[in-house]
Amino acid sequence: MKTDLSPRMKVALYGLMCVLLIPFVFPTWWMLTSSVKPISDIFAFPPDLWPRRFDFTTYARVFELQPFARQYWNSAYIAALVTIGTMIVSSMAGYAFARIKFPFSNAIFMIVLLGLLIPSEVTIVPLFQMFLKWGMINTHWPLILVPIFGAPSVFATFVMRQFFIALPGELEEAARVDGLGRFKIFWLIALPLAKPALGAVAIFTFLHSWNLYLEPIVFLSSTQMFTLPQALTQFTDAYGGAMWNIQLAAATMTAIPVLLVFIVAQKQFVEGLAHTGLKG
Amino acid sequence: MTIAAGTPRRKRPFWTIERRDAAAGYLFIAPQLIGIVTFVLFPLGLVFYYSLHEWNVLANTFNFVGAANYQMLLADKALPQVLLSSAIFSAGLVILNMSLALLLAVLLDQKLKGITVFRTLFFSPVVVSLVAWTIVWSFLLQNNGGINGLLQLIGVEGPNWLRTPATAMISVVVVQVFKNVGLNMILFLAALQGVPKELYEAARVDGAGRFKQFRRITLPLISPTILLTSIITIVGSLQVFAQIAVLTQGGPGMTTTVLVYYLYQQAFQFHFFGYGSTLSILLFVIVALLTFVQWQMRKRIVFYEN
Amino acid sequence: MAPVTLKSITKSYGTTPVLHGIDIDIADGEFVVLVGPSGCGKSTLLRMIAGLETITGGDISIGSRVVNDLEPKDRDIAMVFQNYALYPHMTVAANMGFSLEHRGASKAEISERVNWAADILGLRPLLDRYPRQLSGGQRQRVAMGRAIVRNPQVFLFDEPLSNLDAKLRVVMRGEIKGLHQRLGVTTVYVTHDQVEAMTMADKIVVMNGGRVEQVGAPLDLYDRPANLFVAGFIGSPAMNTLGGRITPDGFVAAGATLPLPPGLTPAANAVYGIRPEHLSLADTGIPAIVKLVEPMGSETQVTMTVGEHTVIGVFRERLKAKPGETVHLRPDLEALHLFDAATGGRLN
Repeated sequence: MKTDLSPRMKVALYGLMCVLLIPFVFPTWWMLTSSVKPISDIFAFPPDLWPRRFDFTTYARVFELQPFARQYWNSAYIAALVTIGTMIVSSMAGYAFARIKFPFSNAIFMIVLLGLLIPSEVTIVPLFQMFLKWGMINTHWPLILVPIFGAPSVFATFVMRQFFIALPGELEEAARVDGLGRFKIFWLIALPLAKPALGAVAIFTFLHSWNLYLEPIVFLSSTQMFTLPQALTQFTDAYGGAMWNIQLAAATMTAIPVLLVFIVAQKQFVEGLAHTGLKG
Repeated sequence: MTIAAGTPRRKRPFWTIERRDAAAGYLFIAPQLIGIVTFVLFPLGLVFYYSLHEWNVLANTFNFVGAANYQMLLADKALPQVLLSSAIFSAGLVILNMSLALLLAVLLDQKLKGITVFRTLFFSPVVVSLVAWTIVWSFLLQNNGGINGLLQLIGVEGPNWLRTPATAMISVVVVQVFKNVGLNMILFLAALQGVPKELYEAARVDGAGRFKQFRRITLPLISPTILLTSIITIVGSLQVFAQIAVLTQGGPGMTTTVLVYYLYQQAFQFHFFGYGSTLSILLFVIVALLTFVQWQMRKRIVFYEN
Repeated sequence: MAPVTLKSITKSYGTTPVLHGIDIDIADGEFVVLVGPSGCGKSTLLRMIAGLETITGGDISIGSRVVNDLEPKDRDIAMVFQNYALYPHMTVAANMGFSLEHRGASKAEISERVNWAADILGLRPLLDRYPRQLSGGQRQRVAMGRAIVRNPQVFLFDEPLSNLDAKLRVVMRGEIKGLHQRLGVTTVYVTHDQVEAMTMADKIVVMNGGRVEQVGAPLDLYDRPANLFVAGFIGSPAMNTLGGRITPDGFVAAGATLPLPPGLTPAANAVYGIRPEHLSLADTGIPAIVKLVEPMGSETQVTMTVGEHTVIGVFRERLKAKPGETVHLRPDLEALHLFDAATGGRLN
């Protein structure tokens, strides 16, 4: 409804949006500022929107209390592997389901789609037993293998399939006449054109892996192996009380890099998601 | 396949174009299919198999007990509360999430300067690490935390949000809504922008006001998106775990113990793997049923599909 | 360059037959146009020659090889697609050189061939652009350039002009024909537009319902259509056809009697066919009531009724008649076509 708005209406809309923004923006602000407050100021009344004293040692303490750099690396490399792996597996499967004729393709696609109905929470118990049998408990394998090949990648496959279905068939035929086989058609023609869809898949997959919580706490037991979400909940004192400022410093370090990447690339980010959004 | 009679058909090579292409197709889907069988379908079968067994990890016993776990499920006094909590959480989340997402999308669809800045900010929690976001809210919602501090400034005595039965669930829902509403907002915004402008112009010529335009044109045209996002949101809401674990640990009492959290407790804290598997089956049935029902509903609520 | 032979080609999708035994001989260097209404199977046939559709029965040979089971790339053909099928993520030069690249040509060879093709088609200044930066006509040229760079045995065109506006279509028609005259490569060209077929072809194949109706040079088809379908399809405005019977006194149609040349066997169920330009105005003759006059400048097209039939005439002279007036028509009996109403076959 893009009609021109009256000035009074505009002011009202800006006002409404600013009020609505508070719960979206304030927590991040509070996390940032509280992470540099000394513990004594953390629950000060009235609340300080800007720290009255700064204590940057909280950030150093994060690394003393946990092997935080190692945990950061764990999360980062797992998320990177899962993202790349999912892009490969899902674009291949999505392409084949969309463009290649082979017997039972629809039936197989339905079987794959079942993955959408079976979130990994449903199968967490047997997965635990399987990985136990394979000696992969307290390794990162479950966090890498299950997302790439299991239920989480099904959504990605679905998005890729929807994209490839819309690709003009003539392009592939031209490529066949030009001398390309299936794999080269996929690699040189279809995939380069699928960049927007691949981008959306990459974002979804990365965030999914980055946010995993149930799986790490089920599969991992030593702090060296922990991923970030798991590590964040470990900052407690001897009595189990939360060390808020240190925890918030760790949370800040976890949240800010992704947030920065998002702000820099927000156009591609948002439009990538909206674009592939889910037509279909 | 009609082959001209009489003329002996030239012997065709085994690897015809179609066969080669089909082989390529199977090769392309192989990783995904093998993955689904290994990490989804086989475990699903196992879950069912486990659910028919009594499994004591500590005593190392694994005995077939038939439907005993399912009888236990029916007799489980905690389960009604768990299901109720799940239902309240999912319903609250879906309703709040969808309506807020739609409101924000409509606001962001207006011709205003700097609207992309607002879009970015509303979307930003989506990319903030889930546990980090939850920890910050947990901090804000402490009895002496930021929210009650701010409330006190205006003379309101806030409750202990996460420790009061009446507010714990609301808090969990709200935290999750603000975290992820940006996603649906973007999808709705894309859908709104996909509505042809001529339709609005035609409606204005026909004398329809803003509200009527929204109800009679916008809503029907974006209904496929609404349906799809609501399915995703509902299924997602059943998977909620980290937020509960960090904010309330299922408490106070069992008011925020949703099904996945209960499942986790039974299987991995109390080591009742058999019963945990039975709960998994229950979760699967619920997810499948909800998806099925919503899919059926599309005939009624979706006015238009492309 | 090579001849192309289609021998009793059939095609079925499942149990639905779409081509019922097609035989066509295309000579080396010939420009053959497959024409027919949509759904007649012409595109399917072309795609079977290309190797993009499988052959249910029969043989396709290019040169001396039967190519039935060969991949498109092994058939030494090049194809121009209806929507051009340019790779959106590659420049014009890359699009044109793509096939050579995948046949192991050297960089120097590729750029030499691409430049050669670009010069022929006037694409030199566009080589570094992307398809989205080109106009429709330019894209069309690039698609042709991509086809000619690797010097194939056969060119296949699938309705290449249908996305262009009327003016550009005429220009490109000329260019394609010029290209063929210059390169002399065997060409199979599919279109539903009989004007394209008439103006470009050495030989036209008229198809309908999965069958070949007639094969011949454009003017042969025009002058002696083998049946009612071809008569109606070739020529614009279409031939006038009036059902009736052949009698010694003339052709008796509903509400009118038309002159016939002498010596015909009477037939009860016939069709009288006369092209609009083979009618002339005279003081006496068949009376016709004018319905609509459309002056084109060089000629005048008049819609009239003869008895209960609607007849169109195209006259060189500028007609003064107004709707409702009666004029008199004289058909050129040399150019008269008679068909059997039941079979559609030609009688004279």
